[in-house]
Amino acid sequence: MKKGILILLVVSLILSITACNTPAAKTDNSTQAPASNTSEQSKPAEAAQPAEASKPAVIDYKNFQIDPSKISKEKLNTTLYVAASVRGLDNPYIVTIIQGMDLFTKYLDSIGQKYEKQTLDSGGSNDKEVDNMKQFAAKANGNAIAYSDPNESAIAPALAEAMAASGGFIGTAWNKPDDVNPWDYDPNWVIHTSPDNVVGGYNISKALSDAIGGGGEIFVLEGMLGNTAATDRAKGLEKYLAENPNLKVVNRDTANWDTKQALTLVETWLNKNPNVKGIWAANDNMATGAIQALDKAGLKGKVAVVGIDATTDMIKAIDQGFATATVSSNGYLQGGYTLAILYAAWAGLIDPAQMPQEYRKFATPSMLVTKDNVKQYIADYIDKAPQFDFSKIFYAKAD
Amino acid sequence: MNKPSLQTLTINEEFADKIRIEYRNTQIIKWAPILVLLALIIFFSVVRGNSFASLNNLVAILNQLAIPLLVACGLTFVIMLGSIDLSIDGTVGMAGSLLAVLVLNSKNTNDLGILGIVLAILASVLVGFIIGSVHVKLKIPSFMVSFGFLYIGKGIATLSYGGIPAQISDSLLMKLPKVVFLGIPFITWIAIIMFVVSFFIQEYTPLGRHIFAVGTDENIPRSVGVNVDRVKIKVFTYAGLLFGIAGALGAIRLGQGQAQIGQDLMFPAQAAVVVGGTSLSGGKGGVVNTLIGTIIIVVLDNGLALAGVNPYIKTGIQGFIILTAVALTISRGHKVISK
Repeated sequence: MKKGILILLVVSLILSITACNTPAAKTDNSTQAPASNTSEQSKPAEAAQPAEASKPAVIDYKNFQIDPSKISKEKLNTTLYVAASVRGLDNPYIVTIIQGMDLFTKYLDSIGQKYEKQTLDSGGSNDKEVDNMKQFAAKANGNAIAYSDPNESAIAPALAEAMAASGGFIGTAWNKPDDVNPWDYDPNWVIHTSPDNVVGGYNISKALSDAIGGGGEIFVLEGMLGNTAATDRAKGLEKYLAENPNLKVVNRDTANWDTKQALTLVETWLNKNPNVKGIWAANDNMATGAIQALDKAGLKGKVAVVGIDATTDMIKAIDQGFATATVSSNGYLQGGYTLAILYAAWAGLIDPAQMPQEYRKFATPSMLVTKDNVKQYIADYIDKAPQFDFSKIFYAKAD
Repeated sequence: MNKPSLQTLTINEEFADKIRIEYRNTQIIKWAPILVLLALIIFFSVVRGNSFASLNNLVAILNQLAIPLLVACGLTFVIMLGSIDLSIDGTVGMAGSLLAVLVLNSKNTNDLGILGIVLAILASVLVGFIIGSVHVKLKIPSFMVSFGFLYIGKGIATLSYGGIPAQISDSLLMKLPKVVFLGIPFITWIAIIMFVVSFFIQEYTPLGRHIFAVGTDENIPRSVGVNVDRVKIKVFTYAGLLFGIAGALGAIRLGQGQAQIGQDLMFPAQAAVVVGGTSLSGGKGGVVNTLIGTIIIVVLDNGLALAGVNPYIKTGIQGFIILTAVALTISRGHKVISK
């Protein structure tokens, strides 16, 4: 019996390991396929090498474009370690960041850069995220670029330090302390970017209000309390409420970004306020839960629901008329272009220390998706993998 | 509890007296969870009468009761053994996620219908069986084994849908959460049926009596020839079944499969079991206690949401009330060892 169970355990372990390896195997193929390009690409690279020395002093960052011919053959043949450090792959939004990284590595394939990519999953733990980054940076020995979504503001400097110690390059998103900036860790902390959450929260409030004729009872589902994104999105709502007192918040609670908790809360609240006209959710996961609760009460499509993140479910719900609006923070853009900027820094095409501060800390675009533009959004982002030109590295700078 | 007045003459009478007092105390303890529940219901009815005591809210409470009840029933037997199962969040999430990718859904072309539900639940049963077997045969504490399976379950769940959750589009499954029979939602019926099955196992089968015996002192049933290992494996497997059903219902209720279906189920379930009066050290309690305990936890959640308590202090209040309920309901005394 004991032996049998041991064998069962080992078999299941092997099965799970093979299951885990399948996607990785695919990436191996994709890295190998374009390897044949390397030889063709590297020829002009050699020729162009002297041009790099006579780089103009003033760089037009806004229109800066990676010129693969300016990257030395040596760099192209060095294995570059590419990573995205995120909090848990069970979140649809975070998956779009990883997909952004995949799109970017396809670009690396196209220019013949050797690389190895990795996803660092912190599972929502600060310590783990810093440890992951340290190990990743140490392994890469300076040839590392990493997109990082710090689990909490406080650990952003520790992540930058971990990267700086090995000489790699890091770009952070969403969270960082107000008084620490990328230029405090020259040149390794290249950029910090964030979509403007206050604006996002405000815009969906406005869309909600418009959808219900400017006034009425609404429910508010907040994100995880104390989380920067949750606080900022709520600030956007507050700002709109202050301007439009006709919107009456009758119930307000946190559902911790969670679909199930949102479903339970809305189900309960509907008994207290059956005349609710709209539901404001700080993310789409919770909005989806709210829609499910409305469905059960026979109110789906009759109560306006707004969220943020533009998950596939929510986009479909908007298309079908069950939801009103969401905001796309565009994880593809965040993940892909952050890595593109880091790549340019690693390849020596830009010098972070010389870059103006507005190019090291900036907002990435966010887009309000409503029924007016949802068809276009589906065509651009859902039906096909979005297409980006990663050679224009500052494309994702909003202003 | 006053000191027994021992104005007795013989040892026999003294013994009978002691038994009588002990019996009275256990009767009080037995009714304490129900009193706590009544107190909560009265309190919320006073504070939020129109909405809390409405028929709609009763249905909502029944709806919200289903999954915690299933999970807590499974956990009850495990706790009665004196073991613990920490895999709940993972196993439930796994069953729910697997269900969503096996039936007609938005991610792949599978359309197994009922078979998909059965397979998803079977996966969870298998996990329960493995937890029990590894715990018993390799002599690893259930705490550690199930903790490992918490992550394995979450891992399988996340892997099964690859990040973006699968929406269930099977028309039958989409209708199920809205089905109401005799005023009680369908998913609650399933939970009630499984509760009755659990009660039957506990009261009318040898397994039920073995669970009590093993939880009290496993050397005694072992010495009279009960296969203790088999009892334990059965209990963990049965718990796996209930967690699997909970996961399946969670996915049906949510309309999609995601790992978060299991999120934050474990500790409320443990609280429900303990509030109901089942002892964490094993051998005492039962599923009826757990039913009351689960209703307490769900009513508390529902009532606080209706009362509109400031979210920043809500969780704190919730913890305080649960602690109070436990303090009122668990049996104490110089004979009870608390670890």
